[in-house]
Amino acid sequence: MLDAFEILTTSGVVLWSRTYAPVSPSIVNNFIADTFIEEKSGSIAPTDSQSAATNPAYRSDQHTLKWTFVKELGLIFVVVYRSLLHLSWVDKLVDNIKTIFVELYGDQLKKPHTTLVECHSFGEYFDQQLQELDKSSHVGSISPIDEEASSRSSASGLKYRGHAPNGTAQDTSADSTPIPTPNASRPSTPGNLVVAKAGPVAKMSRRARKAHNTGSAPVSSGDEALASTRQKKGAKATKKGRKWNAEGFADEEDDDVQLDYSRPNLTSDSEAEAVGRSSALDAVESSTWGSTSKGKFILKDLGDEVHDILASAEAQKAEKAARADSKTGLLGTGVNAISGLFRNVVGGKTLTKEDLDKAMKGMEEHLLRKNVAREAAVRLCEGVEKELVGVKTGNFESINAKIQTAMESSLTKMLTPTSSLDLLREIDSITAPPVTSLRKPRPYVISIVGVNGVGKSTNLSKICFFLLQNKYKVLIAAGDTFRSGAVEQLAVHVRNLKELTAREGGKVELYQKGYGKDAAAVAKDAVNHAAQEGYDVVLIDTAGRRHNDQRLMSSLEKFAKFAQPDKILMVGEALVGTDSVAQARNFNAAFGSDRALDGFIISKCDTVGDMVGTLVSLVHATNVPVVFVGVGQHYSDLRNFSVKWAVGKLLSSN
Amino acid sequence: MASLTFTELVEIIMTPSLPVIIIGLILILGGPIIFHLVLSSSSTYTVPPSVLLLGPDNAGKTALLTLFERGTKPSSTHTSQVSHSIELNASTDSVTKASFRNHDDSTGTHTKFFLVDTPGHGKLRNVAMGKLARTEKTKAVVFVVDAAALGEQETIAPTAAYLYDVLLFLQKKATSKGKDKASIPVLIAANKMDLFTALPATMVKTHLEVELTRIRASRSKGLLDSGVGIDDVGSEEQDGWLGEYGSEKFTFQQMGEFDIDVEVLAGSVLTEEPGADKWWWWIAQRI
Repeated sequence: MLDAFEILTTSGVVLWSRTYAPVSPSIVNNFIADTFIEEKSGSIAPTDSQSAATNPAYRSDQHTLKWTFVKELGLIFVVVYRSLLHLSWVDKLVDNIKTIFVELYGDQLKKPHTTLVECHSFGEYFDQQLQELDKSSHVGSISPIDEEASSRSSASGLKYRGHAPNGTAQDTSADSTPIPTPNASRPSTPGNLVVAKAGPVAKMSRRARKAHNTGSAPVSSGDEALASTRQKKGAKATKKGRKWNAEGFADEEDDDVQLDYSRPNLTSDSEAEAVGRSSALDAVESSTWGSTSKGKFILKDLGDEVHDILASAEAQKAEKAARADSKTGLLGTGVNAISGLFRNVVGGKTLTKEDLDKAMKGMEEHLLRKNVAREAAVRLCEGVEKELVGVKTGNFESINAKIQTAMESSLTKMLTPTSSLDLLREIDSITAPPVTSLRKPRPYVISIVGVNGVGKSTNLSKICFFLLQNKYKVLIAAGDTFRSGAVEQLAVHVRNLKELTAREGGKVELYQKGYGKDAAAVAKDAVNHAAQEGYDVVLIDTAGRRHNDQRLMSSLEKFAKFAQPDKILMVGEALVGTDSVAQARNFNAAFGSDRALDGFIISKCDTVGDMVGTLVSLVHATNVPVVFVGVGQHYSDLRNFSVKWAVGKLLSSN
Repeated sequence: MASLTFTELVEIIMTPSLPVIIIGLILILGGPIIFHLVLSSSSTYTVPPSVLLLGPDNAGKTALLTLFERGTKPSSTHTSQVSHSIELNASTDSVTKASFRNHDDSTGTHTKFFLVDTPGHGKLRNVAMGKLARTEKTKAVVFVVDAAALGEQETIAPTAAYLYDVLLFLQKKATSKGKDKASIPVLIAANKMDLFTALPATMVKTHLEVELTRIRASRSKGLLDSGVGIDDVGSEEQDGWLGEYGSEKFTFQQMGEFDIDVEVLAGSVLTEEPGADKWWWWIAQRI
């Protein structure tokens, strides 16, 4: 069953929650961080009025979280349950709870400067919904069991025949969780599958059998246990006539003949006909009947209220849709256009998708002109658009200004790294660990990867220069054992750096094994050598490789395993266009499942002026932050990445 | 008069007689005044002072906010995504002045203020810093840290880096020559004292000072930001040296040079003892 249901605000306060099993708060925290803040799922920003079914479920190691979001109130509804369970009604529950909660407490939520919402009585509404949905779903999907249970005494071959195809029809038509029927009359058979195979499946058409098998395949043991407990509740269903078709299984489409002669007397369950029924209408009907017969009349009253709320919300939605359609009247459009124009200037206009469309198009064009890959630009614009729909513009604020600010915050959020990137501090903590941490000092290993000719060796020597100025002892490993002249190029850099930093007190050496050797082995030897000789930092150069060449990329995984770099930095040049997305993705995935890139160096930024869109594309594709920016030809022309600078350049208009 | 036709009415208005001129003058001169009065009564011109809650994520900012608001116990919380403010009343002369459970207290004078919560997640740091830059009449900053986890390198490094940014911002604000010059006191609220691993306030202070010293050293040696042009190199503004220039070790006393008073107080949001009363009293005194 459910582990927890929580209603929380975007400001972090839990307004209402119900816990059935202890759930670590870090699960929900991680969910918020990943889905809303870091947008790791790669999807566009969460949107309003989406049902929980369309929002991607968030999975932690053992739990599944389903959620929905109300933007204007800043409310998140999240339900946590064990991933083992397949609860088909959870989406509906989350949606209904959202509607009810917003209807009941929406006014309280709009008050400024408070986090208090009086919603102690919400538990009753929740219980009602839970009971109703839980039951209706189970009546719908496991009623075959009930049927069998009630007719246990008269088990016959005919009955199996009737039952198995019935299950088939249900599994294929509805997407509700298929529940295996622990066959009560045959305790030795564990599940539906076996029963079906033994009996009538042989006579089924291949198509039907396939549907049946796929339908019951993903069933977990949790459901079985659940199903068997449900069994005892004995929810009953109306019974309907069945027509048998040529292939020997029930034709469910046109069963409108009532065969259930026991209808007037509902308590009679002696009916042992092999009959099937599956319509959702019947399921709901029987569930309401079930709840009243148990004498829970209070629940029923609440149920009416809840149904009213849901129905009115439904009606409002329909009305809104209708109004949107009927807005085409001549007078209506005229007045709308004039007031729209007026509000465009004065502000205070509630933005709609139509208002934004044109301006967003312009923003997208602008981003494309800044060399942002189309994919990233579209995602950014969609995010901003969804954020702005339904928002009121401020006094004398035009739509464009609004979009500009929204895009600025969106870009800032995207480019800002989750944790701070202070390379020197990280090196210090590895090479000279605090006494309390019980770690042995070891050299800090940085490796640099990238496509051919983006400036890997140049940036490596720039980083080396920076480290030497800070008096570190650096070993450069020539991992490019392929391209002619690569080792010599590094040797020249090392010679220059030695001369440049002789005064500063740094020390730099080159570790090389010539050409044709395995790069991973060279890197490993270099790290060992550095550890023996007491170097602080090892910088490993690698051969440039095309990102879509599987043969070259595959050696990177071995490299990461052998050299164990603390940081893998990818050099991406600012000049590259749309290809940057694919480059970043492929390199990010190349190091195996448990290793990814740690950062980007954007080289040649001085050659593009304002068109620094590449870095947005790279970060968009991988969620890996930009660490350094190369801005010139000298050793000192390496800069820390500043988000403000990048956003300013991206949004500047010329 | 009732039989006045439209033309006659227009004629009267257009005739340059004394009453018409007086009414006209009243309308022209009085209109803006009335308009102003209506506007000023609809919105409060006096903005209450505000106190900012800053700190890394999972330190207990939102929990502290809800504790102050509810007075009884904090609500359960999750990671915040947006900034949120609540209205509170503090007092320095009433009976319950030292406690935040003053909702029914009517003695003494109470000052209304806003307590502003900020998201602590690294990606939303700029939201919090933006709040710090834009909030009017910021009277104090409460920097909440998780004292129980501060002993670990993984927690103290980002915490200290954040604190460094905040202090540096406040230092720049205090030394700026413009209109917005202000020295804002900082309270470092060492939260979660109820936990076994929590460091005492003095340890929190020294740990942070050591870490801030380290950050200051590495920042001064680090690379320039990409936004820095050739002309700005070495200029006064780019010098982000926190505290006394050239000093070997950073201590919070050095902030006193800029009239920024930094205090470390221990407390706990979740339990009665040591509780959050000390923090409340600190805030009440600053407003």
